[in-house]
Amino acid sequence: MVSRTVAKDIITLRGSAAIVSEFFGYAANSILYNRGVYPEESFVKVKKYGLPMLLTQDDGVKSFISNLNAQLSEWLEAGKLQRVVLVIMSKATGEVLERWNFSIETDNEVVEKGVSREKSDKEIMREIQAIMRQIASSITYLPCLDEPCVFDVLAYTDKDVAVPFTWIESDAKLIANPQMVKLHSFDTKIHKVDTLVSYKNDDEWEEQ
Amino acid sequence: MILRTPPPKKRRGEAIAAESPPPPSDRRLVIYDHNPPPVPPDSSDQFLCTYQCRQMVKADFVDALTTAEKQLHDYQSKLEALNQNLSKAEAESKKFRDQFLYTEQELVAAKRREQVLQEQLLKELNDSQQRFRKQLQSYNELEDLVPITRRMDHQPTKLIGFCMFHYIFQLKLQNEMNLREKAESSAESADGKATLLERKLSQLSESIEREKRHLSDELAQTKSESKLSISRINADLERMKCKAKNAEEESELLKEQLEGVMKQFNECLHQKSEVEKKLSSFTLQDVTPTENNPLIKHLQEELRNYESEVQEARKLKSSHENIELLKEKLLEEKGRKERAELQLSKLQELQLSLNNLENELSSWKLMMKDIPGVSCHEDIPVKFATLQKEVIDSTMKMGEANARLKQMEVSLDLAQLGKQNAEAEAALAKEKAEVLKSEIKRIELMLSMVTDERDKFRSIINELKKPKNEEMTDEAANMTIVQELELSLVNKEFVIKELENSLCQQKELNDRQHNEIRLLNERLNDETRRIKSLEREGDRLCSEISLLESKLGHGDFSSANTKVLRMVNTLALGNDAKQTIEALQTELQKTKERLQAVEELKSQSGDTGKLVDSYISEKILKLKEQIATLEKREERVLTCISLSTQQANNYTSQPEISRQIEIFIRKMNSIPAFTANLTVESFNRRTLS
Repeated sequence: MVSRTVAKDIITLRGSAAIVSEFFGYAANSILYNRGVYPEESFVKVKKYGLPMLLTQDDGVKSFISNLNAQLSEWLEAGKLQRVVLVIMSKATGEVLERWNFSIETDNEVVEKGVSREKSDKEIMREIQAIMRQIASSITYLPCLDEPCVFDVLAYTDKDVAVPFTWIESDAKLIANPQMVKLHSFDTKIHKVDTLVSYKNDDEWEEQ
Repeated sequence: MILRTPPPKKRRGEAIAAESPPPPSDRRLVIYDHNPPPVPPDSSDQFLCTYQCRQMVKADFVDALTTAEKQLHDYQSKLEALNQNLSKAEAESKKFRDQFLYTEQELVAAKRREQVLQEQLLKELNDSQQRFRKQLQSYNELEDLVPITRRMDHQPTKLIGFCMFHYIFQLKLQNEMNLREKAESSAESADGKATLLERKLSQLSESIEREKRHLSDELAQTKSESKLSISRINADLERMKCKAKNAEEESELLKEQLEGVMKQFNECLHQKSEVEKKLSSFTLQDVTPTENNPLIKHLQEELRNYESEVQEARKLKSSHENIELLKEKLLEEKGRKERAELQLSKLQELQLSLNNLENELSSWKLMMKDIPGVSCHEDIPVKFATLQKEVIDSTMKMGEANARLKQMEVSLDLAQLGKQNAEAEAALAKEKAEVLKSEIKRIELMLSMVTDERDKFRSIINELKKPKNEEMTDEAANMTIVQELELSLVNKEFVIKELENSLCQQKELNDRQHNEIRLLNERLNDETRRIKSLEREGDRLCSEISLLESKLGHGDFSSANTKVLRMVNTLALGNDAKQTIEALQTELQKTKERLQAVEELKSQSGDTGKLVDSYISEKILKLKEQIATLEKREERVLTCISLSTQQANNYTSQPEISRQIEIFIRKMNSIPAFTANLTVESFNRRTLS
């Protein structure tokens, strides 16, 4: 009888931070496309995680997301990042309509001692693929965003983190009485990312 | 904050319907004058210029369309040629296939003929061999007969006959040998021909296969090329459409500009009329004939000439505009007609799709009736949402129940292990008790045996003690025996005592083990109670976890450990700044044009009226001031854009800007001061340099 052995790859702190920040970039693009924050024609299809992913071609949004990813990977390598939240707000009223919450648990032993972990790249890709599919299918239960919307990104960091030049302190932009849907999570053995989407209650939508 | 793309553009029909001039936007600088300067007659060139630009754009678009159509025709002709080549190649391949089949048939026929020939040859050979054998037999018989005939000399005729027969037989043999050789040679030649034919066949088949592959490759290439060309043509068509839309929008913008300019022109005319009135009033007031009268008359004549020219220009312009409007209307009508024709063709498709959609709708409605709790289509998403929520809740509950189950299983396993351990210990204790009991029994048996022996010995001693007289001589020996027996008795008693002590010890051990078993049972009960309490704690923790998860999802955080940061993005600033720059630039151009017109007027009018000169100079000064302010605003906005679009790292690499960042932002912690300093420096550089 032949037994299958799963090939495991060594993952370092830097590699894990790169995986997580890249995931966030693609997830943000997918959310912006699926929620209609930007028009469909401004997105282009690329292959990633074994799926056709959509990336924006708007220069401003591209540079914004790339700068964001660079900062997030820096905080991830330092083990200072606790959460990343993508907030979708109404352009006219500024009301928060949706919050895409990505919670991050870091293995502090890796940050302090610099050890590495083992996990198959394919396994990680499979987990990320499941999350991307769930994001794409979220339009079936999330309420339609009929009005023009804008988006913003919040980062929950440790208290002792130095605020970079292009960042400012902000409120949490919460939703009152939200509906929440928990999505899948993925784990690189160094960073574990849980995804959750909270949106404005359907009853409040109907009242409005 | 990230802005969405700009709002949807206005439709052309709405723009045409709203012929009234639009109000000035907030971003434009509108200079309201009560006495505007007169418009020179050359201003109509400005209107012509925009029309020519529009015409040029249209001409370019038409040229591009014609080139695209030509390309389309070329591609179509190429496609047709390729199709013809394909059909030719297919016909040739069919011919080759027919030839190949024909050659195959010929081969088969030749092979069959060869087989038939070989069979005939074989038959002939066999027949000849049989004849040869018969002849040989007859020859042998004849040879046998020869000695007899030799004796019989009187029969020479038979000998001669026999020789003749032999000669004939040899001739026949030779003939048959020759025939056989011929047949073999013909068979060899037929084999050679067959091999040649086979070689030719193989070559033909290879060539046919090569040609087939070549033709299929060419077919695939032509198909891909045709697809590419079709996609290119479609892309070009879309580009043309976009260009046409852009041209339409530009035409609308130009129209709006035209209307604005027309307004200004009217205002200038009004101002000019007022100036004329004033001039005329001035001329009426001056009663005494002075040196200015002929000048004034001259000026008045010139003014009248200008007015006439302006009126003629107006008429020409209006006629031009009417012509252009009519042309545009013609083009629009043509375009509408074409669009209507296209849409008519699409109508049928739409009707088909409509029918399909109606069928689908009816099927969906029928399906909806089957779904409980759904009365109309609006209920479906709600139903889906409720079902999904229920699913999510049930999965959460399932997860919680599974977690509880696992915990209970773990505790059960632990309890079972403890129970098994206790049972094992109890069994060990029981075994030890039984072993001890058996030892006790054995010891009691021994005791009974020993007491029996003792009684026996005592009886023996008593029996021995009674006949004293008879056995006086053996008294000493008996005494020794008795002493020995007493010693053994004492030893036995000692052994019995030791056994009794060991019995007591075993009993004590048994009691201790019983106590231990009782303690273990009590511990078991305590463990089960602890397990139950742990289960309750587990349920409570699960509920707390769900609460915390809900809080996490809600976004709460503890300010002691975390802080929320937001990235500042400058996209909105950039877009707004670009729009303000464009508006400012247009305003700048307009004011410059007005300045030029005023200066031209001034040069033409010359010394007519010091009031007019002073007024015009004042206007010029005002316009220059406005131009300067607009330029300053433009510079500030440009510097803001350059600041916002460049990345922070590039900025910090520059020494001057990094110094400013350190001073204004890190020390003073104020971004407005930093931007203000940058604008001042850039303005100074541009103005002083």
